[in-house]
Amino acid sequence: MKSDIARHALHPRLVWLTAAFLALPAWAHEQQGQAAGFVSGLQHPLSGLDHVLAMVAVGLWGAQLGAPAIWLLPVTFPLVMACGGFLGLVGVPLPGVEIAIAASAMLLGAMVAAQLRPPLWLAAVAVAFFAVFHGHAHGTELPSGQSGLLYSVGFVAATGCLHATGIAIGLIHRWPQGRIALRAAGAAVAAAGVVFLWGALA
Amino acid sequence: MRRYLRTLLRAAGLALASAIAGAACAHEMRPGYLELREAEPATYALLWKRPTGGEVEIQIAPVIPDGCSFATRDRQQLTPGAVLVRGTLSCSGGLAGKTLRIDGLDITVTDVLVRIQHADGRLENHLLRPATPSVTLGAATSGLERARSYLQLGVQHILLGVDHLLFVLGLLLIVSDRWMLVKTITAFTLAHSITLAIATLGYASAPLLPLNAAIALSILFLGPEIVRAWRGETSFTIRHPWVVAFAFGLLHGFGFASGLTAMGLPRAEIPLALLLFNVGVELGQIAFVVLVILLERAFRTLEIHWPRLIEALPGYTVGSLGAYWTIQRTALLF
Amino acid sequence: MMRRPLAAIAGAALLLVPGIAHAHLLNTGLGPVYDGISHLFLSVEDLLPVAAMALLAGLNGPVAGRRALFALPAAWLAGGFAGYLVAVAILPTGITALSLLVLGILTAADRRIRPAIVTALAAALGLLHGWLNGAAIATAGREAMELIGIAGAILVVAALVSALVVSLRLSWARIAVRVAGSWIAATGLLLLGWTLSGRL
Repeated sequence: MKSDIARHALHPRLVWLTAAFLALPAWAHEQQGQAAGFVSGLQHPLSGLDHVLAMVAVGLWGAQLGAPAIWLLPVTFPLVMACGGFLGLVGVPLPGVEIAIAASAMLLGAMVAAQLRPPLWLAAVAVAFFAVFHGHAHGTELPSGQSGLLYSVGFVAATGCLHATGIAIGLIHRWPQGRIALRAAGAAVAAAGVVFLWGALA
Repeated sequence: MRRYLRTLLRAAGLALASAIAGAACAHEMRPGYLELREAEPATYALLWKRPTGGEVEIQIAPVIPDGCSFATRDRQQLTPGAVLVRGTLSCSGGLAGKTLRIDGLDITVTDVLVRIQHADGRLENHLLRPATPSVTLGAATSGLERARSYLQLGVQHILLGVDHLLFVLGLLLIVSDRWMLVKTITAFTLAHSITLAIATLGYASAPLLPLNAAIALSILFLGPEIVRAWRGETSFTIRHPWVVAFAFGLLHGFGFASGLTAMGLPRAEIPLALLLFNVGVELGQIAFVVLVILLERAFRTLEIHWPRLIEALPGYTVGSLGAYWTIQRTALLF
Repeated sequence: MMRRPLAAIAGAALLLVPGIAHAHLLNTGLGPVYDGISHLFLSVEDLLPVAAMALLAGLNGPVAGRRALFALPAAWLAGGFAGYLVAVAILPTGITALSLLVLGILTAADRRIRPAIVTALAAALGLLHGWLNGAAIATAGREAMELIGIAGAILVVAALVSALVVSLRLSWARIAVRVAGSWIAATGLLLLGWTLSGRL
């Protein structure tokens, strides 16, 4: 009964016009199965702390390195990550995913802490390495009955937002105290990476 | 601004032409109303209001739920704008869990508001529409859900009211700057809100057919003014479009009211329904205005140069459709 | 582990097999034109490529934006009516994934593309997706008028998005568009993976 009323109240005829204030719930209702796909795609990258920390560290490092890394990164990372997801989806196995992700959190954190400035290509390869594993681990876990397209949209968007968070935090690099805080954050991520690595190996 | 808005015709004309093609001929939205009031346990006083007298006869009828039967014969009564049916319905075991359907609704473009007042004071509201012509009864609807259905009714009314949208488009084509645009749209909104309220509260009413003809005439009136503005000439309307918007807005308000008064809502419900229906109409209207202005700006950014013919199209669309409706609706008067 | 490569091969075959066009056709009760409009906004598989096309066209300046703006809905309409008449979705299911991937990568790369090529891309996108829409509408026994609503909505979306991109002057705003392109391409690549794995 409840759902009947809700269906009346949220009939799609309004959706396109009232986008500003009603669209989201209405749309979510109409496309329930699909919206669920979007939400689980959105949640997945956020479900593991190791992933979250490593992705924020990528953003921190990009901000620390400055242009062109700061904008090259958010443009290329999703694509490389999707390559990892693609490999996972077509059935190419990737060994030691958990270990690699923990190791990348450790490495990326260490880079930020040490304020290392490797050549751009080296930094790109290091980040790409992590991106492939990240995509492989998380891009493929679609709950049944949900839309793969919307899951992918949510997954990519959540990842991008984590980068943006990292970059935004990394902007404190402009100030001398901020630089120290940034290095401390890098050290914290590296320490967490060691803990994750311990867990993955044990 | 005027020059830009003229250019806007290109897009708006196109969009409108297709919308008009779809809506065939500006249906006015006149919803039906079904009320069941529980007087004694399992006995309901029925009131069914079927809108009549428009351009198209709406053939809909409620299907009595299984297990219900008429205790007293239904009495029919013809009123201006609607057929009223009253009767008493006795349902063994009450209405909960039973399915109510409106026959014929799926082939119309109208809605039916179903309102059930249970003996314990619970209120149940459903908005049935062509896509969902039936509902399972039982639960009370919250004020929020009722409010949403009135809001929805308002948005729908303006979306299907191609004649109202065309009038707003005509105003947009005439106004020459942003400040005048704000004044004109505000005047139109104010005017139609006034008459919508007056008509819904029952202080005044306008007969449906002459009203529709007058609304068509207001659109026809704008046609030559648009052409004049386009040629760079001036007139009272072009200098003070808000006055025209206000005057004709009074007329359009009666038109909007037909969406509410045909239902014959209970008095206590009218203020809420009136407010939200009006808000819905305004939302639809603002969305239309914003869309037209954004499109016009987008075309300018993309440096689109329209042929003269297409540039003049919106003005001529407004004028010729206004003329068509005027003739058609006047003919209906006789 | 043995089953996964097999599944991948089966999926690859599936990519080339005409899919059932599962469009979101719904009844708004406001007539076929409004049905078509709501269809576009509820179908991410159509809306996202349209947005990507508009971003790409906008990045390439007003001339490309203008031509794509007319080519896209016109081709969509033409493809739609053709698909409606034939009533068979003879196109592979991987079309959406490929559209997203190609348009997204081109947007992310932000290399100047000649307006003629942008127009051709818009026309191709319109024909392919329009065909799928038209076939789905015919299969569901609905009115072809819905295509008018779809094409009209596409015209509006494409005009607004590409004009917005053309008007961007700040360098970071352009990068934001490229990032959006990259997200779209990544979504396309993942979707391609889903299609190949046959798990959609």
